[in-house]
Amino acid sequence: MRFLTRLAVILVLLGVAGAVALAAIIFWPARRTPPVTTLPADWKPAPGAGEAVARAADCIACHTTPGGAPYAGGFRIDSPFGAIYSSNITPDRETGIGGYTLDEFRAALYDGVRQDGRRLYPAMPYVNYRKLSEEDVRALYDYFMNGVKPVSHTPKRTELAFPFNQRWGLRLWQSVALPRAGFTPHRGDATLDRGAYLVEALGHCGACHSPRNALFMESGLDANDPDFLSGGQLGDWPIPDLRAADMPTQTWPASELAAFLRTGRNAETGAAGEMSLTIGHSLQYLPQADLDALIAYLRAIRQDRAAPAVAARRREPQPTARRLTAAVDLTLGERLYLDNCNACHFADGRGARATFPALDGNPLVTAASPGGIISMILGGASMPSTRERPLALVMPGFAWRLNDDEVAALATFVRQGWSNAASAVTVADVAPVRARLRAAQAATAGTLHNGPENGEGR
Amino acid sequence: MTRSVTDGAHRPLTTWFDRPSPLAGPDRRAFMKAGALGVAIGPASAGALAQTSRAELDSYQPIFFAAAEWAFILAACARLIPSEGEGPGALEAHVPIFLDRDLAGPYGRGEDWHMGGPHDPNAPEALGFQSPLTPAQLFRASIAEVDAMCARAFGSPFAGLDAARQETTLKFLEAGKPGLRPELRDFFSMLWRNVREGYFSDPRHGGNRGMMAWRHIGFPGARGAFREWADQHDREYPLGPVSIAGERS
Amino acid sequence: MARRERKADAVIVGLGWTGSILAMELAQAGLDVLALERGPDRSTVPDFAYPKMLDELTYGVRYGLMSRPRDSTLTIRRTRDETALPYRVLGSFLPGEGVGGAGVHWNGHTWRAMPEELRLRSYVAERFGESVIPDGMTIQDWGVSYDELEPHYDRFEYLCGISGQAGNVGGVIQPGGNPFEGRRARPYPLPPLPPTLNCMMFEKTAREAGYHPFPMPSANASGAWVNEYGMQLGPCNFCGFCERFGCINYSKASPQTCVLDALKRKPNFRYRVKCDVLRVEKARDGRSAAGVTYVDERGEEVFQPADLVILAAYAYHNVHLLLLSGIGAPYDPVAGTGVVGRNYAYQMNGSTTLFFKDRHFNPFVGAGSNAMVIDDFAINRIDFAREGFIGGSYISSGQFNGQPIRSMVLPSGVPGWGAGWKKGVKDWYGRSMSIGSHGSNMSYRDCYLDLDPTYVDRYGRPMLRMTFDWKRNDIRMTQFMRSKIEPLAKGMQPTSWRSGFKGDGARYDVRPYQTTHNVGGAVMGTDPRTSTLNRYLQCWDAHNVFVMGASAFPQNIQYNPTGTVGALAYWAAKALREDYLRFPRPLT
Repeated sequence: MRFLTRLAVILVLLGVAGAVALAAIIFWPARRTPPVTTLPADWKPAPGAGEAVARAADCIACHTTPGGAPYAGGFRIDSPFGAIYSSNITPDRETGIGGYTLDEFRAALYDGVRQDGRRLYPAMPYVNYRKLSEEDVRALYDYFMNGVKPVSHTPKRTELAFPFNQRWGLRLWQSVALPRAGFTPHRGDATLDRGAYLVEALGHCGACHSPRNALFMESGLDANDPDFLSGGQLGDWPIPDLRAADMPTQTWPASELAAFLRTGRNAETGAAGEMSLTIGHSLQYLPQADLDALIAYLRAIRQDRAAPAVAARRREPQPTARRLTAAVDLTLGERLYLDNCNACHFADGRGARATFPALDGNPLVTAASPGGIISMILGGASMPSTRERPLALVMPGFAWRLNDDEVAALATFVRQGWSNAASAVTVADVAPVRARLRAAQAATAGTLHNGPENGEGR
Repeated sequence: MTRSVTDGAHRPLTTWFDRPSPLAGPDRRAFMKAGALGVAIGPASAGALAQTSRAELDSYQPIFFAAAEWAFILAACARLIPSEGEGPGALEAHVPIFLDRDLAGPYGRGEDWHMGGPHDPNAPEALGFQSPLTPAQLFRASIAEVDAMCARAFGSPFAGLDAARQETTLKFLEAGKPGLRPELRDFFSMLWRNVREGYFSDPRHGGNRGMMAWRHIGFPGARGAFREWADQHDREYPLGPVSIAGERS
Repeated sequence: MARRERKADAVIVGLGWTGSILAMELAQAGLDVLALERGPDRSTVPDFAYPKMLDELTYGVRYGLMSRPRDSTLTIRRTRDETALPYRVLGSFLPGEGVGGAGVHWNGHTWRAMPEELRLRSYVAERFGESVIPDGMTIQDWGVSYDELEPHYDRFEYLCGISGQAGNVGGVIQPGGNPFEGRRARPYPLPPLPPTLNCMMFEKTAREAGYHPFPMPSANASGAWVNEYGMQLGPCNFCGFCERFGCINYSKASPQTCVLDALKRKPNFRYRVKCDVLRVEKARDGRSAAGVTYVDERGEEVFQPADLVILAAYAYHNVHLLLLSGIGAPYDPVAGTGVVGRNYAYQMNGSTTLFFKDRHFNPFVGAGSNAMVIDDFAINRIDFAREGFIGGSYISSGQFNGQPIRSMVLPSGVPGWGAGWKKGVKDWYGRSMSIGSHGSNMSYRDCYLDLDPTYVDRYGRPMLRMTFDWKRNDIRMTQFMRSKIEPLAKGMQPTSWRSGFKGDGARYDVRPYQTTHNVGGAVMGTDPRTSTLNRYLQCWDAHNVFVMGASAFPQNIQYNPTGTVGALAYWAAKALREDYLRFPRPLT
């Protein structure tokens, strides 16, 4: 045969093979992972267990729009790939998951596959939920079928731009990203393993607190991986490293860490942004024994290193406080601090216990990425309303009052005032954060408390 | 759970803040940046601000006051807080602009007040405001009556009189001699109160241009953060004011 | 025909201080509670957010957070032979509105009544004889004793994180506190606020004069605080925008900071805003209420049935509702019969301002309750027979705000306007302090509330009519206080000073702001012939109607009323929870 003809045949054969492979990827039925434990068919969860697991897994956070019916979906998640809208997971048969069998429900949690075979974007943390025990899967199924009010609501469809709208691509991604199903205890202690299960599986803390690689996979899914929980980035917000020896998770007294997780505030600071929502929706409801286990586990996986993404501290906070108190010959940053921040955070930058976060020594303030502190100056923040501390403390935003130069000067001041020694902030840092904040949908207030029956919720 | 910033049946709480400035032209805050580093605006720059603000006043188009009324207001403001001497007068401080916007708005319409009858304008003054007229109506009627009084007594409406005659007129008004008709008896006290409001209120309301009246007395404006000053006794406060919008001085 | 709602166990009219406290107490007891608030919803953010709240004109001068006379007002006259006219423009007193009520925009002075004040008539009769009580003065005992209220005062103070220095703990006089106060079980929750210059100067002068200065008990927190509901306060930052303003930084005790977010978490509590209660509906048995009728935000009339009705609106609004609802016999001042509207009283205040041309007071460094006080001329310190009046006052120097429109005090000699005024404000702003008297006001036969015969409100209901004037007794009291204050002022050797006290023949003037302590009209007591409520704040005439607030005061105490209002709310709540709810009936 002529060379060219042979080449043509080979190319055609390759093309056919490729097409067959693609067809297989697209059309070969999804394989559902079977249960990791065999439970009797009439196994029933304890009363309230399903709701407790749902709280710990924080399903409500993504499957409920602010002010909307619980679990009815439509919540918009701004991912790096575009806006993803969550599904209705109430037991409504037409618009929710009322028609799902237990196996189909488990496949969503374990395999990231819907009843109709479509793949779920990893905004749904099935990579983490894949470690759920069968008892918890069954408890969740029971809760979502019997404990949640069915709501007829068809959420907006997720339409990402090409190529991310090619869901078959997720099959490839999943083939790399999905670990073995189920949780294998690895701490050698019942309490620590319970903590590991809460963090690695139910709480899916790594979804925010672990870095992601180029394939958008979490770097490490359990504590055996050194990158696990070593910090991440969520939009403009730096997400704290939980294992570095000099970070609050490791340095705060356990009681302060517990207070933070239970109430969104402690002697040093208060929760803001996504963590405020997580505490409000989920962590405040953890039983005390679970909270203790979670904290014990986090302390047990401490790493003997400094957090690279947070600036080291100087030792002399007093000069800043003195200058602010004297209020003479101020720099622009100092003047802006007195005009905007001093009312709550005070001249010593220490704020007030459990009310106004300290700025001095605050890792969000001194993170290498200034996006968090810029976001707070522009948009404010709110603590969650929790059972133990119901006051939903709100910091107002100052985007309307400060231009980009002023935000940069103010952010630089707080990052370098008192004992803080972080980098300066420029207009180039501020402008894109402001633009993204403006473009985002109205943020939730971060609270679950009710408003008047006949007025707007607050 | 978006938060509304209106209070429904009552005025939206953002009204004062979102109202566009009636002054076109360069960003006022850009001017204030000259004082951004906390350096007090000295006499030279205070003088420049006064000049700028007078020019702005000259080019301002009233939305409430008719021409003759505007002339009265400018003249009365100039007497009530004169430009001469240390510190800004009402004109530099844009008090007339404040009055114009104020009377054109909900305050002028008496929207908070109980305006229902029956009325007894002759009631004892201690029983408070009893006129059937809204502030806007009261101002118009009073200005007309004062101008007519001045024309009869001195041959010119108020704005055309010399400063001494204008002062005399105001003193008579203040004392109620000669009095305006009963429905208008509160005019002087309202006028003087509104002038002080325009002089000392946050610049967002149209007066206190560049916070000049606050600088005059040493009031820090909307800073509202003085915990570290509670025990700094008998020490002159060194910082200039800040407005709600963030203008610094 | 009014729309009918499903029954609530308890309906609460008004969601201010007492409404919030009663709602929490009843919700904790397991009742299904509905609160109806006439005004809008209010939260610290966005409604009191920094820096937009720091707008003297909008809130301090144009009363942005207050009730609007256009929506609701009353008529006022001094005597029965005057025609009452509408209070068209706010002045003398500033009723609150909205969720949080006036608890949002008060200054935070939080006091207990003296034991003697709660049994004033008996005290006067025992110490001085009934004959010192002038004809026409109708002072009464309250029916509850200080010892009975003490744990509830304590509860309210710990709810609010009051900052202060106790004077009498367990009978032991404490240095630096008020040695004349009633005995308290334990100290205040938080230490006092740091005192400003005026406080230090007054303290020195007072001490040198042999008096006993102490810091004003303050609902502006001196530090971070957590109360029994888990609600929180941060430290006050002396922003100088307290009274008339919502607190920008969660440091003023209010329903917002102390109760509401905790209350809203209770699934058995609901509330509706912009719902205006027209009347309490009487039940067929004639001895109780069936619920309330209100107009909702769309203007529709709604009947809300309930087993228990709590009136928790502003003091004289409670009285108005009782009159409109026909609960309790209306007071007739001529015949001297009836009870609803009887014994309305106010507050007798005066002050001296001192000018020091070389001092820097920095008046904008202000907190609502930043003051130094002496109680050496309190009610239990005065010989009424010798002095010729019944009453008393605390004397204090406070620095609450330095707002230039409404707090510009100038020495006499500075012209009222013009070039001299412009110079005067520069020379004298920040150069003054004041010493004031905050005194009692007795109740009188011809100071009362009833329904106006001419003026109606927007629903066509007769407006409330207030008949009130100053009386010789209280004028003598204030002149006495002047005679104590002026020597102190002169002794401080100011550059100049000027006084403002009511003199002989002073008439009530509704124009200048005086105080929002309107009390009485639905007074508590042990005799149904002279009181509307029994000692548990329960209506004698309708056993399931309880009326909170200072409307229960038979005469005004010398102190700010909120502390006593809060204590009475907890006292009534206890009677409800432990007694009434188990067996609904007249409790006395």
